[in-house]
Amino acid sequence: MKALARFTLLIGLLLTALSSQAEPLPLDQLSQQLSQHPVVRGPFVQEKHLRALPQPLTSSGTFVLAADAGLLWKLEKPLKQDYRIDANGIAKRTADGWQMQPGRDVAAQQSKLFLDVLKGNHSGLARNFELQLSGDAKAWTLTMTPTSLLLKQVFSRIDISGGELVERIELHEVQGDRTLLRMPASVAGDDLSAEERSDFAH
Amino acid sequence: MRTEHALIERRLPRLFAVLLLALLALTAWQWRNGPPVAASILALLPSGAGDARLQQAEARMQEPIQHDLLVLVGHPQRERAIALAGELGSQWRDSGHFGQVRWQLDSDLDALRQHLRESRLDLLPAADRRLLIERPDAFIEQRAAALFDPFASFSLLPPEQDWFGLGARAQQALNFGGRVQPDLASGVLLVAEPGMTWAVLHLRSRGDAFDMQSPLVIAQGIAAARQGVEAESGQLLATGGALYAAAGQHKAMSEMSLIGGAASLGTLLLLLIGFRRPRVLLSLLPIGVALVAGCAACVLIFRQINALTLVLGASLIGVAADYPLHYLSKSWGHAEWRSWSALRSTLPGLSLSLGTNLIGYLALAFTPFPALTQIAAFSAAGLIGAYLCSVCLLPAWLNGMQLRPAPRLLALATRTISWHGRLRQGRGTYWLLALFLAFCAGGIWQLHSQNDLRQWLGKDPALFAQSQRIVELTGQQPTSQFFLVRASDEAQLLQRQQALGARLDGLVGNSQLRSYLSLNQLLAPTEQLQATRAALRALPEHWQPLLDLGIPADALQAELQQLLEQPQANLDQALASPQAEPWRALWLGRDDQGVAAIVSLQGQTDSAVLQGAANGLDGVQLVDRLGELNRLFAATQVSAAELKLISCLAIVLLLCIPFGLGGALRVVCLPLLAALASLACLGWLGQPLTLFSLFGLLLITAIGVDYAILMRENIGGPAVSLLGTLLSAVSSWLSFGLLLISQTPAIANFGLAISLGLMFCFLLSPWAAPRHTAQVQP
Repeated sequence: MKALARFTLLIGLLLTALSSQAEPLPLDQLSQQLSQHPVVRGPFVQEKHLRALPQPLTSSGTFVLAADAGLLWKLEKPLKQDYRIDANGIAKRTADGWQMQPGRDVAAQQSKLFLDVLKGNHSGLARNFELQLSGDAKAWTLTMTPTSLLLKQVFSRIDISGGELVERIELHEVQGDRTLLRMPASVAGDDLSAEERSDFAH
Repeated sequence: MRTEHALIERRLPRLFAVLLLALLALTAWQWRNGPPVAASILALLPSGAGDARLQQAEARMQEPIQHDLLVLVGHPQRERAIALAGELGSQWRDSGHFGQVRWQLDSDLDALRQHLRESRLDLLPAADRRLLIERPDAFIEQRAAALFDPFASFSLLPPEQDWFGLGARAQQALNFGGRVQPDLASGVLLVAEPGMTWAVLHLRSRGDAFDMQSPLVIAQGIAAARQGVEAESGQLLATGGALYAAAGQHKAMSEMSLIGGAASLGTLLLLLIGFRRPRVLLSLLPIGVALVAGCAACVLIFRQINALTLVLGASLIGVAADYPLHYLSKSWGHAEWRSWSALRSTLPGLSLSLGTNLIGYLALAFTPFPALTQIAAFSAAGLIGAYLCSVCLLPAWLNGMQLRPAPRLLALATRTISWHGRLRQGRGTYWLLALFLAFCAGGIWQLHSQNDLRQWLGKDPALFAQSQRIVELTGQQPTSQFFLVRASDEAQLLQRQQALGARLDGLVGNSQLRSYLSLNQLLAPTEQLQATRAALRALPEHWQPLLDLGIPADALQAELQQLLEQPQANLDQALASPQAEPWRALWLGRDDQGVAAIVSLQGQTDSAVLQGAANGLDGVQLVDRLGELNRLFAATQVSAAELKLISCLAIVLLLCIPFGLGGALRVVCLPLLAALASLACLGWLGQPLTLFSLFGLLLITAIGVDYAILMRENIGGPAVSLLGTLLSAVSSWLSFGLLLISQTPAIANFGLAISLGLMFCFLLSPWAAPRHTAQVQP
C-alpha cells in the first residue's frame, strides 16, 4: 500500500475490469471499443479537490497512450514534468534523461498490470470492484465501488465516463477529497511520432 | 584366601545389581516425559565471553532464529499463489502450533495514519531531514511538485494534514523493505518474479524450536503443505531454525542407529569368531550399561542430552567392549580359563585402562566447548558403568564357561611377535623410526587447518538451497552480526545510535550493507528534533511556492504550529505503537548500568567494515558471533594441544606406579607417536585438521595407552597380549571408525582421525613390551 499511482491504477482497473468481465455484453463491447486503437493522445486537466482548499489544485498537460509501448504523461502547468510508464515501471524525465523511480513497487506493479491489460492479458482485479455500467456506446458511465479491504479504505467510489474514448475519471477518496481527471479532446491514431518513439525507447 | 574370594565373588554381582536397578530407575524417571533429547547445535557452542548485557542481546538475536519460519508459496498464476497462501495461513493459524501466523498486511489504515501523524518528525529519514535543514527551498519545491505528480507515492495522510509532505516522506521509513509488496486487493504479501508469484508467510512457533517434538511436527506440517502446493503445480520454499533442527535431529537419530547398530553387530561377530561360544556374547552387556549410565549422567548434569552427544557417544560402544576383552583374550594363554581368576590377573591392567581413558576423556571437559564437555561427561560415566559391569557382574555370568578360542588367531599373533622380535634385535627399530619420522615430517608439512564453523556443521543442502533462494527473492538476509549500543539513559542511547546510523547509512549507500534497523529510526534524539523544529520555524520564509498553488497561509501556519507543539513521545510509547513491531525486539531495557539496544543488520557484510563503523563511537560494540567462534576455534586448537600434553603428563604419573618412569614414558610415547603419524596421514590425504580431528587425537592418546598397557603387562605372553590388543583395536574401530560415514563433516573428520590413530596405536603397541620379554618369548 506504500505507493499507488492513482491514475495508472485507475486505467488499469478500468481496462481489467472491462476485459475480464465476461457476462454482460455492453461491458465487453466497451472493452473492445477502448482497446482497438494502437495510439491515443490528447490534452488532460487534473483537478484535486481538497476539503481544506476553496479552489482545486489544477494541473494540465498532454498524454500519449501507446498500446504496445506504454504511457507518456507530460505535465505542463503549473510546472513542467514528464512521466513515462512502461513494462519497467515509472520513470521521470530529468536533465540526464529518464530516471526510474525507485521504491515504488506497487506503482510499478500497477503499471505492469496496466500494460498487460493493454496487450490483452486479462487479470482479475475486477473481483475487487463492483461494476455498474450505464448509457450507450456514445455516452457511457462506469461506476466502480471497491469491495476489497484495502481499497475500500482508500476510495469510496470511482466514476469513469466517455464516448468513443475515456473522457472523465473521478476518484472519490474516503477522507473526502476527490480527484477529477478530464481528457476532453483525445484523438485515436495509428502510429507514434519519431519523438514519442524515442521517448519510449530510452 | 579362597573363601574370601568366594565371598567377594558372591557379593559383587549382587551389589552391582542393586546399582544397576537404581540406574534404571533413575533413567525411567528422567524419561517420564518423553526423551530428554535436544537437537540444537547452537546449544553446544560455547557461550560468548561477555557480560550479562551482551548475553541478553545474543539471546534476543537468537530468538527469531529459533522461533521464526519464513515460507514462500509460489505459483505461476498470481491468483492461485494468493489463494494457496490464504489456505495454508488459516490452516496453520488454526493448528495451534504457531503463536503467530502472518501473510496479510495489517489493513487498519486508520491506525497507521494516526501513528504517522504523531511521529512523522521522528520517522523522517536522514536524507529528507538534511534536505529540510540545508535546502528548505528545494524541500518546498519538491513538495509542490509532488502535489501535482499523478504518479507520486500514495500518501496515507491527506494533503491537508500533511502540507509539507513530512508524513509522505516518513511513510518510507515504515516500508517493509526488500522486494516484498502487498497485493492491493487481498493484502497478501507478494514477491513477483517473471513467470512466478510468491506469497510470503511469516510463522512464529509457540515452543522452543529446539525442543525435541515441535521441530518434527513443524517440519512434517511444512512437508505436507509442500505436497499440497506441488499437487497444484505450485512450489513451496521454507526456512527457519525449526526446520534445520528437525533435519539435524532426524540425521542424528538415523546415524546413531546405523553406527550403533553396525558397531554392535560387528563387535558381536568379532566375539563369536574369536571365542566361538555364544555365551561370550554376554560381554556385550557392558555396552548397554555404558550407554544407559552415560545418558543418565548427562541428563543429571545438563538436564538434557544433545543429539550430537548421542551420535558421538554411540562410539563408546567400542571402548566399553574392550574391558571384557581384557580377560576374555587371556583364554588363549591358559589351557583352563576361569572367569574370576582371569579377572584377578587382569584387574590392575583393567583399572589402569579405566584411569587413562578417564584422563583422556576428562581432558575434553576442560575445553570451552559445551559439546565436548557433554561428550566427556557421557563417556566418563559410561566407562565407569562398563568397568563396574565388567568387573562385578560379568565374571559371575561367565563363570564355569569353557572357552575354546580360535587357535589360528593365536598362531598368527605368535608369528607376528616373533617377526617383530627379530626386527627389534638388530638395528631395524632405528631404521624404522627414522623412516617413520620422515613420513610424519612430510605429512605434517602438508597439513592445513580449517576453522570455519559453517563448513563443519554440515547444513542440510536442500534446506540451505531454499534459504538462499528466499534471501534472493525477499531481499531479507538477517545476519548474526549486530551492534550493541549502551548508554546511561535513553536520550544518550538515541544519540549514540544516530551517530552509528550516520555511518551505516554510508555503508548502505555504497551497497556494502543491505539495510539496518535501529531505534533512532523510530524515535529521533532530542537534539535532532530540535534541529528539525528550528528548520521548520524558518519554513515560512521559503513556502511561497505552496502559497502560489492556492494553499491558504493559515492552513500552512496551523500545520506548522501543530508540528512544533507536538509533545515528544518517549521510547515506551513509540515502541507500543503497532507499527513499531520490527523495532520492539531491539530494545533491551534498563538495568543498573543504564540502557542498551541492538542495531540489527541485513545482508552479509565483511566484519572488518562493520568494525570500522563502530570504531571511535562510545558505547557501540560490534558483536560478530560467528567470526568470534571461528577465532575461538583457532585459539582452542592451541589450548587443546596443551591439554593433550597435560593429560599425557597425568597418565605418565599414573603409570609410574606400576611400570616405573622408563616404562611409563615408553607406554605414553607410543600413542603420542601414533597421534603424530595420524596427523601426518591427514596431511598426506589432504584432509584438514579441524578442532574435532584434534580432539579425536586427544582421545587416541588415552586409548592408545590402553593398548600399550595391555602389551606391557604381558599377561599370558606377548602373543596373547597382541591378540587382545588386536581385538580391542578392531572393536574400537568398529565404533569410532564408523563415524567416518557420518554426513556431518565435523563427525566424519573426527572418525577419520580416530581410525588412523587406532591403526597406528595397534602397529606401534608391540614396542611397549620390555626388550627382554620380546626376546625370551617365542
